[in-house]
Amino acid sequence: MNARRTDSNSLIALEHVGHAFDQGRIVALHDINLTFGEGESVAVLGPSGSGKTTLILVMCGIRTPTRGVLRWRGDPVTTLRQWTDLRRSQIGIVFQEFNLFPTLTASENVEVAMFGMGLSSKERRRRAEDALETVGLGQRTTHLPQELSGGERQRVAIARSIINNPTLILADEPTGNLDSANASAILDLLFDLQRARGATLVMVSHAPDLAKRCKRLIKMKDGNVIDQVSHAREAVP
Amino acid sequence: MNHLELAFRNLQRRPTRSILTLLGVAVAVGSFITLYGLSRSVNENVQQAFEERGNDLTVRRRGVAEPFGGTVPEAVIPEIAKIPGVAAAAGQLLSFAATDNDDHVIAFGWPESSFYWSSVPLAEGRLPNPGERKFALVGKDIATTLGKHVGDDITLLGDKFHIIATTNYGSVINRNAVIVGLPDLQEATFRTGSVTYIAIRLADPANQAATDRVVKAIEGLGGFAVTRSESVLKNDSLVGLLDAVSSSMAWVALLMGVLMVLNTLLMAVLERTREIGILSAIGWSKERIMGALVIEGFLLSALGSGLGILLGIGGSRLLSAIPAIGRYIAVRPTPGLIAVTAIAAIVLGILGSFYPAFVATRASPAEALEHT
Repeated sequence: MNARRTDSNSLIALEHVGHAFDQGRIVALHDINLTFGEGESVAVLGPSGSGKTTLILVMCGIRTPTRGVLRWRGDPVTTLRQWTDLRRSQIGIVFQEFNLFPTLTASENVEVAMFGMGLSSKERRRRAEDALETVGLGQRTTHLPQELSGGERQRVAIARSIINNPTLILADEPTGNLDSANASAILDLLFDLQRARGATLVMVSHAPDLAKRCKRLIKMKDGNVIDQVSHAREAVP
Repeated sequence: MNHLELAFRNLQRRPTRSILTLLGVAVAVGSFITLYGLSRSVNENVQQAFEERGNDLTVRRRGVAEPFGGTVPEAVIPEIAKIPGVAAAAGQLLSFAATDNDDHVIAFGWPESSFYWSSVPLAEGRLPNPGERKFALVGKDIATTLGKHVGDDITLLGDKFHIIATTNYGSVINRNAVIVGLPDLQEATFRTGSVTYIAIRLADPANQAATDRVVKAIEGLGGFAVTRSESVLKNDSLVGLLDAVSSSMAWVALLMGVLMVLNTLLMAVLERTREIGILSAIGWSKERIMGALVIEGFLLSALGSGLGILLGIGGSRLLSAIPAIGRYIAVRPTPGLIAVTAIAAIVLGILGSFYPAFVATRASPAEALEHT
């Protein structure tokens, strides 16, 4: 079931969005209609191949939809330049595989996301150290990724994703490579940051218990949204 | 951290490759400076040698490709000396002469009346007496090389000459030359009545119109070419060949350096496809990603050029230390040549990094992120 929200506080909306690979032979997303409001926390659940990751990548412009329109605060986003600007200043992305630069320290990995923001290198350094402090890595700023544990690496990735105060945080299986203790800590951190900053958090996961912590749950299967449930676990009309 | 530090950090990732590329650029720049410096130094050294003896114009046989290959009849000298505007005219015979220990030196034969004698900087000894024969004034450097002193004899073309002085000229050519009397060198080389060229001292060298009149009058005698000291090697076929070969080799070396930068960056781009995807995912524009790679190209070529300049200066000194070269030419790359080479290498390095930078941004961010 594809549902459509029309909240006045819509941050990002997908209208009839579809995505296909291999010249249309493999359809990853069918006719998706979704709206994400300001400050929401949303879990996207579904089995492998259901289109969750493609949905996240389409929502940040890393993948271009083959049909439909995405709107940011009501305005259509159609060009790569618009998406680049949004990813730099409005959208933070956390990947399952951390995606850190191996030769850069924790602090420098965070600093890289501030290039092009008109800040001095000193200011970038200060903000990066503050962000690492926020995620509990204040003592590990000069460490290289290979000197950090999996949980610590994901914290660096989270610090990088929030460094420009994004209004939308997209997390693609952020705990997928972590043990349960670290996974729980990372989820705590993401929800704390989302609440403290009032950002919208959209998180993809296999884990059904994630739904309990989000205000909204979207279930996907075979490239379709098959269900949406509010925090009271009621279907969204 | 800024863009430059980021680029530097990326180059540090593959230290061996980066160092080899740096060395490649350095060798290219060093070769360029040395080879180009060599061809330029030939002209400069000859010009300096002429100028310090007080030459304004040189008269040679027309159509002779090698400046010192032809001969001019000595009989024409008095005629040229009479031309208005000519202060003095003197013949000089030049020969590469075999000397002791199978060595070779440049031998100059000057007539007793030559104006050259008035400006000989004696280090030790005396000028020849009127009518004196079989004397030799030996340049200070060649005297040291051959272990000769005033009072010794030196063999030239099989004849013995008595060393009456050592000279202390500034140019390498003159410091390594032996001056003898013109009749003695003419006899030894079987060129009696001939000189290699006629040196002219003008009454007013700054007066271009007067100089032009002198040139026209001499050329009007028929069969002669007149050149200023600075362009005496202009039409020299051997110098032209040296110039062409060394220039070609220099440019090939520089282009190889650029290709190394291009190859290194292309490899780096292919290896870092995923990281380029990450940069795109965190909001780096294509232009910024391209810029970062071009900065890496700049760093490689700038650091390589710096090292290359040192190699070029060292290489030039090494060439000058080889007796067969250093006896006639001091290979000295000029600051202008060094600056132009370094700028050319850096600009070419930057241009060479554009293609890898373009390749880096060609893949979509999604494809780049999926790259392993």
